[in-house]
Amino acid sequence: MSFRHNAVLTAACLLGSMVSVRAQHCHSVLRGHITEGIRREPLAYASVFVREAGKSTLSDESGYFEVTDLCEDSSYTVEVSHVECAHLVQIVRVHENATFDFNLDHDAVLKEVIIVEKALAPAPAQAQATVSQIDLDATRGASLAETLRKLPGVSVLSTGATIGKPVIQGLHSNRIAIVNNNVVLEGQQWGREHAPEIDPFSAGKIMVIKGAAGVRYGPGAMGGAVILEPEPLRKQPGLGGWISAAGNSNARGGVLSGAADWHHPRAPLALRAQATLKRSGNLRAPDYFLHNTGLAEYDLAVSAGWRKNRWEFESGISSFNLQTGILRSAHVGNLTDLQLAIASDIPLNNQNRFTYAIDRPFQQASHLTVRNKAVQRIDDTWKLTGQHVFQYNRRREYDVVRSSGSASMRPQLSFQLWTNTLDAAVEHQPVRHWQGGIGVQAIQQTNFVGRGGLIPDYNALGGSVWLMERRRRYPQPWEFELGARYDYRHTSATSTGSLNNIDTLVHFGNASGTAGVIYHFNRYCSVTFNSGLAWRPPHVNELFARGVHHGAGTFEQGNPDLISEKAWNNNLSFRLSSDDWNINLSAFSNRIRDFIYLDPQNTFVLTVRGAFPAYFYRQADAVLNGLDGSASIPLGKSLHFEPGFSIIRGRRTTDAPAGDWLPFMPADRYQYAMRWTKSGSDKRESYIRIGGTTVLNQTRIPAAGLLKPAPAVYTLVNLDGTLQLKAGENPLELGVTVSNLLNTRYRDYMNFFRFYADEPGINISLRLKLII
Amino acid sequence: MKIKVSSFASLVLLLSGMFALGSCEKHDHTEQENITTIKLLVTGPGFDEVFTWNDADGPGGNAPVIDEIALPASTTGLQCAIVVSDESQSPAVDYTNEITAENADHLFIWNITGGASLTISGADQDKYGKPFSQVTNWVTGQASTGFLNVKLYHEPTDKTNSANPGGEVDFDIAFPVKIQ
Repeated sequence: MSFRHNAVLTAACLLGSMVSVRAQHCHSVLRGHITEGIRREPLAYASVFVREAGKSTLSDESGYFEVTDLCEDSSYTVEVSHVECAHLVQIVRVHENATFDFNLDHDAVLKEVIIVEKALAPAPAQAQATVSQIDLDATRGASLAETLRKLPGVSVLSTGATIGKPVIQGLHSNRIAIVNNNVVLEGQQWGREHAPEIDPFSAGKIMVIKGAAGVRYGPGAMGGAVILEPEPLRKQPGLGGWISAAGNSNARGGVLSGAADWHHPRAPLALRAQATLKRSGNLRAPDYFLHNTGLAEYDLAVSAGWRKNRWEFESGISSFNLQTGILRSAHVGNLTDLQLAIASDIPLNNQNRFTYAIDRPFQQASHLTVRNKAVQRIDDTWKLTGQHVFQYNRRREYDVVRSSGSASMRPQLSFQLWTNTLDAAVEHQPVRHWQGGIGVQAIQQTNFVGRGGLIPDYNALGGSVWLMERRRRYPQPWEFELGARYDYRHTSATSTGSLNNIDTLVHFGNASGTAGVIYHFNRYCSVTFNSGLAWRPPHVNELFARGVHHGAGTFEQGNPDLISEKAWNNNLSFRLSSDDWNINLSAFSNRIRDFIYLDPQNTFVLTVRGAFPAYFYRQADAVLNGLDGSASIPLGKSLHFEPGFSIIRGRRTTDAPAGDWLPFMPADRYQYAMRWTKSGSDKRESYIRIGGTTVLNQTRIPAAGLLKPAPAVYTLVNLDGTLQLKAGENPLELGVTVSNLLNTRYRDYMNFFRFYADEPGINISLRLKLII
Repeated sequence: MKIKVSSFASLVLLLSGMFALGSCEKHDHTEQENITTIKLLVTGPGFDEVFTWNDADGPGGNAPVIDEIALPASTTGLQCAIVVSDESQSPAVDYTNEITAENADHLFIWNITGGASLTISGADQDKYGKPFSQVTNWVTGQASTGFLNVKLYHEPTDKTNSANPGGEVDFDIAFPVKIQ
């Protein structure tokens, strides 16, 4: 599609009117929409032939087509055909603004052999952002949080340069869900220094759902969700795969990842094995090495799919293993040392040298997932799904210890979490234009911390029931979504033999709901409004934590009387997406009742390591408002301008001082980039891009003040590019990503280690990917 | 229907297998040091007392119980040995021997604040002849009050710099002092 035509489309769309090309004598356009069967699902790649004019075309992915240069008020014979469907011939008269609907029936003979693989749950009627293919490639080898960092409305909460977790519209940790291959990751996500145990290489697509997503993903998704989807298993017989390697100049790190896909020549069996290896040493800030910031990671995933008649089975097992060093100079024993560290411009106790060694303090995290899924298609419309997932998460934290003897091989903190989830759902394709499903979920969790842990051991049991329906009647521009869910969680916490004796039973039950309306101006452009109610039970750490948080130099005390948080999230978003243009804007308001936060009490708790300021978990109402957006605007045939921004304001509405700013809210961020593509707009083409990110100084801080003033505004310049080549028959991709090109010295408000050290300096990453 | 029943049965089996896996791997040992109690054993001619700093329930909860160090005025020849232990466990764990065995990696720092007329000097050295100060000599002056601050450092980088020896602080406590 030409740039000019698109510009017209865009302008028309922005005015909120349907697009039309002025009809003249023989310059009319026949527009149509093709659907199939009683479901009236859009039919992609159907061929359309206009007999009298001798013109033909194909319908696009949404079932739309257009045939140009037809004469007004003439009759034409239109033949519509598709390999899976019956042939259709219809005589139409072309008028200005006319759109014709064609409905094709399934071919009865072919029915048994057709495998129509469609995700039943449509994309949610909610603000969302997808990591573009080029951004996904450019960040290959980085952590999940790093991969998401550029998305509008998403930022990263980090603990040093090696530990990061995504923040969606100001909320993180227990308030967002990370869903990998339809499995909600269950780990120790309450901890701000506990990064998600995910290998981004396993995903073919990464998407963020902004706002309350509790109906779909449970109480953990009160503030949003990160969705990772793997590439589908191989469908054609034979062997395939890819291998990807990257090397980083900073930290002298390397990543190697690869996958092999195989499909049985005759049987309907597909297998995949994927593995990732990662190793890096001390990172370097512009002026010094950051001692003990190395990491080692290895991940392995195997999955198998089998389908026969109306049955489909999928099984997978994946293992994630990570060892991360924690900046040595961020470890302080008492408040005096913390104040010394904060007052110093350079990290104290830092060894300015490169090494791959990982010493104390470090973390070891491993995650095992075993997934079994069965699907039975009852008929073309209805299907039954059952899934069982077992997850075992183990996290060990090794502190700097006093004794250097034999006992020092052990961790100082150890968490083990076993989770079993059982899902059953009945889903259906459109019935009277309604599409959706109903389902139940059961969850069982056992958490074992052991003596002296920050949180108690607990056993949790839960059950949920949900309903989600979506209505779209083509070609009506309106689309509706409704969902409701009820969750119950029962937690018994015990902690005997340790310092804080707890033996408590808590249970929480709550309903959540979502309602969304989408108005499609045309197939390129839509406006969505979504209103969602979501909730979250307080986590055991908020209820029962008691101890000194050494990295922060605070004493933190839980509150067993906390009640559930309730969020009412309203989100208005605008989306325009064509071959060339891409605009996403979203405005949100998230009102949270009984928002749980850490309140500095201006009191000190005397401990054996001296006095620490005391923080208590409390609840108050809060409101988070924000605006974010991103765009890709063509400036010429091969040049795109890519701006983006994220703005968020979070404050308390009750609890003195009322109206106080919430802590750890991301500062305003502006992004801008220019991208030159070698030819056309194909996302897989060679390109080079130079861009910048400006993060403002966070001036909206809690009245109680900060231990160290919020960092100054900074701008980073980044460069990335990809060259698409062929190695024989196989596509070969070479890439370069340079982050912090100007080696800017900066610190980030959302990094807890901004007290101690600068962020890493320039990194040049070279990438190679071979698809076999 | 038959398929459904059998697949359900296998699911249940799998589930119970997972639970079994869960329950048998439960014993994971951590090494969590909790110094709860510090005792100063002060002896001298005609003097034998123990002063205790004790926070039996760890950080938070009940406040630590701290003895007042009451000493006779103008006395020489007092000697103090410090004992470090975790009394939240039973039996209590005494760390003193281990600290003494690794004396090169440890350093006790003693400071008087608030005008108490008490002079403290180290009576021992580590295996390299550097300060250690687990045993100290005390000399009192005229009647006065103040505080005694005791710190234990591990892996100090400069043992001769008592103001900032580097390394990590293991405890940092203060006793009220009364010379009478």
